[in-house]
Amino acid sequence: MSAGPAGPVRLARGVRFRRLPDGAGVLLVPEGVVNLSQSAAAIAELIDGERSSSDIAAALTQTFDAPRATIEADVDEMLARFAGNTWLDDGVRN
Amino acid sequence: MDAPKPLSILAELTYRCNLQCPYCYNPLDLQAYRTELPVDVWTRVIDEAAGLGVLQAHFSGGEPTLRADDLIALVKAARTRDLYTNLITQGTFLSDDLIARLEEAGLDHVQLSLQASHADLADSIAGATVHEKKMDALRRVAKSGMAVTLNCVLHRANIDDVDSIIAIAEAAGVRRVELANVQFYGWALLNRGALMPTREQVERAGAAVAVARRRLAGKVEIDHVLADYYERFPKPCMDGWGRKFMTVAPDGRVFPCPAAPAVKGMRFESVLERSLADIWGFSESFNAYRGTGWMPEPCKSCDRREVDWGGCRCQAFLLAGDAALTDPACSLSPHHRLVETAVAADERTPGWTPRRMKSAL
Repeated sequence: MSAGPAGPVRLARGVRFRRLPDGAGVLLVPEGVVNLSQSAAAIAELIDGERSSSDIAAALTQTFDAPRATIEADVDEMLARFAGNTWLDDGVRN
Repeated sequence: MDAPKPLSILAELTYRCNLQCPYCYNPLDLQAYRTELPVDVWTRVIDEAAGLGVLQAHFSGGEPTLRADDLIALVKAARTRDLYTNLITQGTFLSDDLIARLEEAGLDHVQLSLQASHADLADSIAGATVHEKKMDALRRVAKSGMAVTLNCVLHRANIDDVDSIIAIAEAAGVRRVELANVQFYGWALLNRGALMPTREQVERAGAAVAVARRRLAGKVEIDHVLADYYERFPKPCMDGWGRKFMTVAPDGRVFPCPAAPAVKGMRFESVLERSLADIWGFSESFNAYRGTGWMPEPCKSCDRREVDWGGCRCQAFLLAGDAALTDPACSLSPHHRLVETAVAADERTPGWTPRRMKSAL
């Protein structure tokens, strides 16, 4: 997908976010478990198929003390990385 | 040492299968596993696994859809515990009804295998007329919207087929392909002379995968399981013995690796006699090669000891007769000659022994 600011962002089928009892965030993918950094987990947790990337950045400005532009850039970069790993739904079936 | 947290359980629901693939990693003495755990014991095993911190449940076999009702119940049980669920199937029983029931049960992912890209070759490998049926199942499960990986085990008879396998995945709209060079355990080791690819084949397939990966970046992910006999370093089998993975066999015995029953003289405890937590944490089998303390040289002082964990214990046993040796697939192993001679042209044989429940062996 293009990590554009407008459209809703959704995890691909077969990819799930899970918060573990110790607080760490992971992505569960077809053949494994991807350990996420704290910031990646904060972003992944907000991917719900409704929020756009700018909605996600807006939500994160509530919790993180950083300029909005910095957070937006971080979110876009992270989503591009997710997309590069085929973890995001790009609207194409399967 | 303290046991690490397991990530993943492979539940082998049955070793029954209607195909006869000569590369199957299942044990040769399939009959010894014919008493299968009932579904209530399996449910307890899944529960215990979740309690241990396991995050993923892989359902395999044999062919797990031969126990369709139990499979559905177990996918539901696993999802209740928030586990990621994966079905590993050859697809010959994937009716629309079963696909719908699996989806409704919350199945996260299906891995469906093909033996080759066209029926003549695929059916001769499977030992049954099933290719067209499997192609139909692939198209239907891909259309259902469930996440699908197309898997093909590569060996001398089909490794030149990788581009066509990838093309099938693209045409079906599948987003992930696993091209797995055969690993030599169980039936595959028995048939090694017939299955071993040539170095030229392995290199050609590697180049084809590299080109396809560039072309399909961001669209189709290609997982390429390497041919360890041709590599410089061994595979990090199971990411280390007793570190992340456990396999429960159809009869309830728990293995640190699906190929572990090959290690003769090692006792594997069953979920019928001990809890999964006890077996994972305290059994002799799981602790035998955990961590790095068991390692001989050249592993012990090797920079890669926590990268490839000495390679595969089962392979060390099967090739060199001792599971506590460096995997002979490693170019640094004093037994590496065993691997070099196995890939030599004069080791190649024409025919294979099909996988059968009641073998003549």
